[in-house]
Amino acid sequence: MLAYVIQRVFQSAIVLLVVGLVAFSMFRFVGDPVDNMLGQERTQADIERLRTQLGLDQPFPVQYFKFLTGAAQGNFGVSYRQGRPVSDILVERAPATLELAAVSGFLAISIGIALGVFTAIRRNGFAAHAIMSVSLIGVSLPTFLIGILLIYLFSVELGWLPSFGRGDTVKIGGWSTGFLTESGLKALILPSITLGLYQMTLIMRLVRSEMLEVLRQDYIRFARARGLRERAVNFRHALKNTLVPVITVTGLQLGSIIAFAIITETVFQWPGVGLLFINAIQFVDIPVMAAYLMLISVMFVGINLIVDLLYFAIDPRLRVDRTAAH
Amino acid sequence: MLRPISLAAALMVSASALVAEEFRWAETTDPQTMDPHAVNSAAVLGFLNNVYEGLVRRGKDMTIEPALATAWEPIGAGEGWRFTLRQGVTFHDGSTFDAQDVLFSYQRASDEASDTRSWFAPVSDVKVVDDYTVDIMTTAPNPIFPDSIANWMMMDSGWAEANNAARPDKDNGNFATLNANGTGAFQLTTREPGLRTVLEPFGGWWDEAEHNITRAELTPIQNPATAVAALLSGDVDFINPVPIQDTARLAANDQVKVIQGIEARVIMLGFPHEAEALKYSAETTDRNPFADVRVRQAVAHAINVPAILQTIMRGNAEEVSQLVSPAMRGFSASLAARPAFDPDKARALLAEAGYPEGFSFGLKCPNDRYLNDESVCQAITGMLAQVGVRATLDAMPVQNYWPELRADNYDMYLLGWSPGTFDAEHPIRFLASTPNEERKLGSWNFGGFSNARVDELLPMVQSEIDDAKRQAMLDESAKILQDEMAYVPLYVQPLVWGAQANIDLTQRPDNFFLLRWVTIN
Repeated sequence: MLAYVIQRVFQSAIVLLVVGLVAFSMFRFVGDPVDNMLGQERTQADIERLRTQLGLDQPFPVQYFKFLTGAAQGNFGVSYRQGRPVSDILVERAPATLELAAVSGFLAISIGIALGVFTAIRRNGFAAHAIMSVSLIGVSLPTFLIGILLIYLFSVELGWLPSFGRGDTVKIGGWSTGFLTESGLKALILPSITLGLYQMTLIMRLVRSEMLEVLRQDYIRFARARGLRERAVNFRHALKNTLVPVITVTGLQLGSIIAFAIITETVFQWPGVGLLFINAIQFVDIPVMAAYLMLISVMFVGINLIVDLLYFAIDPRLRVDRTAAH
Repeated sequence: MLRPISLAAALMVSASALVAEEFRWAETTDPQTMDPHAVNSAAVLGFLNNVYEGLVRRGKDMTIEPALATAWEPIGAGEGWRFTLRQGVTFHDGSTFDAQDVLFSYQRASDEASDTRSWFAPVSDVKVVDDYTVDIMTTAPNPIFPDSIANWMMMDSGWAEANNAARPDKDNGNFATLNANGTGAFQLTTREPGLRTVLEPFGGWWDEAEHNITRAELTPIQNPATAVAALLSGDVDFINPVPIQDTARLAANDQVKVIQGIEARVIMLGFPHEAEALKYSAETTDRNPFADVRVRQAVAHAINVPAILQTIMRGNAEEVSQLVSPAMRGFSASLAARPAFDPDKARALLAEAGYPEGFSFGLKCPNDRYLNDESVCQAITGMLAQVGVRATLDAMPVQNYWPELRADNYDMYLLGWSPGTFDAEHPIRFLASTPNEERKLGSWNFGGFSNARVDELLPMVQSEIDDAKRQAMLDESAKILQDEMAYVPLYVQPLVWGAQANIDLTQRPDNFFLLRWVTIN
C-alpha cells in the first residue's frame, strides 16, 4: 500500500514538472511583454534594459528553474501588468471562480441526477423524449454561445438578471462572497447555468444509461417480484447502484469545471482566475500565466491522485493483484 | 418619537437616491496603474485625466487651455517657458498646490523609472521662481512645449514622500499604483485592479463642475459582445469602444446612442527601405522592389481606400494623405489629396520599374491591434493582386507582431500611429527620421527610411517659434514624404462610443473619456 502511494505521488510530481517545462517553452510564442510595458516613446535601449531586468534574455530552462525555486518558497513573482505579487492576485480572484464552480457543480449534479432518473424510469414518455432532445443542445452548443444567448434573453430582452460581473460581494476574512447579497446571487444564475450545462447533460445521460442497465438486472426483477413498491425499487436499489460510476466521473469533471470557467468568465466578465488568465495572455504576463497553469495542473494531478488512491481503497481486486505481483 | 425620525431618515435616503446620478461605464482595457508617471499609455493617461491635472489641459476641441497654470510665456529668445500657477488649488487630501509640487512632479515624471521620461528630453532645468511661478528651461527653443505637457500630471510632493512613492515603481508597485491624490474633478475612492474603479466628485475642485455625476464606476469588460449586451440591458451607461459591426444595430435602438468620430491614429503601410532583398518572395529573391519609389507609388495607386472604408469600416473612417490627420496641428492643407485609386497607373509604374509581371512578397499584419486590422490587410492583399503584386498575408497578435518588425521579418507591414503631442512633428521624429538610438530618433522607423533633408528639417521644426515658418518646414517634410512615398497613409481610424440615450458627453480624437463633461438627463 505505502509503496503504491509513494509511486503515485512520485509520478504526479514528474507530471507537474513536465507541465511547467512545456508551459515555459511555450511562453516565448505568446509574444513579447516589453512592448506593453513600455510606451510609444521607448527606445531600443529601453527594450533591452527591460528584457534583461525581467530575465527574458535568458534561455527558457533557466527562466523555468528560477520560477521553480521561487514557487517552492511560495513566491510566484510579480505580475507584469499589475505590479503586484501574483499570489496576492490569485488569492483575491480565487473565491469568484470557486463559488461559481461550486454552484455549477451543484446544479449539474442535482438536476443531472434527477433528470437522468426521470428519463430512465419514463423512458418512453413524451417528457423524457423532450428532455433528451433538449439535452443535445447542452452537449453540442459551445459554452460562449450559450452564455451570449442567455445574456440576450434574460438581461437584454427580459431585463431580469445582470449581464455581467459578480454583483455586490461581502468580505469575510480574506474571502469575498457573492452568496450574501441579492445582486450577488442574481449574478450567479446565468454564469453557473452556462458553466454547468455541459456537465449536467453529461451526468444526466450517464445516470440514464446506467439506470437502464441496472433496471434490467435480475435483483431488480426479484425486488419487483417480492412486491416492493416502485419507489423503493427505483431509488433504494437501482439508483444506489447507479451512483458508483457517476461519482467517479463527477469527481474528474470537477477539475474541468474550474478549467472550463475561463470561457464562461470571459463571456460574463466574471472576475475569477480564468478571466485573469485570459488577460494575462493578452498582456503576455508570464508570472500570472505560469502560476495559473501550475495551479490548474496541481489541481488536476491532485484529483487524479485521490481518485487513484480511492480505487485502490475501494477495489479489492486491484489490491490483490498488486500484492500478488510483488 | 423614534418612528417619525426613522421615517424622515428613510425619506431622506430615498430622496437622495433619486438625486444621485450614478454613472457606470465599461472599457476594454483596465488602466494598469493609478500612477500618472509610471506608464505612458492612452488607457492610463485617459483615465487619470479625471483625477490628476497638468499645468495645461486640452479642451473639448483639443486646444490647449489653462489648468493648474493660468498663463505661460516664452523666456527671452526661447530659453524656456515661464508658467504662472493657479492659486488656491488643493489636492484631494487637502494640501495646497504650489511651485514645489511642479518641481517634484518634474523630477518624478522625468525619473529613470518613469515611462513619461521622454517628454522632458528638451528640458534642461526647472526653476522655482516663487511659490506660484516656475521657469522650465529648454536646451533649444521649443515652441510646442506647452502642447506637449498636457498629460504631465501634478502630484503632491508631501503625499508622495509620506507614502514612499517619490519615484514611480512599475515593476513592484508602490502606494501610488493603487491610490491617487490629484487636483482633478474626481477623486479615487475604490481601486480593485481588473475588477472596478470608483470615482467620486471632488468638492474642493478649483473649476466649476459641468457634470452632474455623484459617483462613477469603471468596469473593464474585455469581451465586446458582453459590453454591447451590458449597454443594451442598461447595466452600464457607456461603453468604449463599440465593435464596428454592431454600430448600425445600436444606432437603430432608441434606448442607446452611438457617438462616432475619428481618432488621432493614422493607419499606414510601411516598407523595408534598407533591405537588400525581399524575404518572403517566391521568385524575387535577389532584389528589393520596394526600394524603388515607383513601386511604392504603384502600391499607393493600387489600393482603393474608399472601398475599404465603405465595406470594412462601414463608412466610419476617413482617408488620409499624410502621417497625421487633418485635426492635428501642423497638418499640411495643401497636400490633403491622397494618390487616386488607379490600377492602370499602378501597372504602368510597375512596368516602368522593371516588374511588368509583378512579384510576390510577404505582408505582415497585426490581428488584434487596430480596428479590423486583419480584414483591412486581406482587402489590401486582394487589391494588390489586381495589379500583379501578390502578397502572402501573415497576420498575428500584436505581442508577436512588434518583435517580428524589430527583427525585420517583413516585406511590407501595417502600422498605426497616434501622435502623442497632436502635432505633425511627432510622426516625423518617430517614423521618418533616420534611426538614431542616441538622439532617440526614428525609434519606430522599422524600415530605416532615410532622407537627409527631412533629418535636417526636424531640429529646425522643433525649435522654430514663428508659426508660419514652422508650417512651411512641416509642409516641405510632408511633401518629401509624400513624393518619396516613405509610407502609404491609408485612413484615420474611427472612434465609436456607445451610451444610453439620456447621457450627454464629449468625444475627443485622443479617445480620452472625461467625466467632467458627462451629463445624465
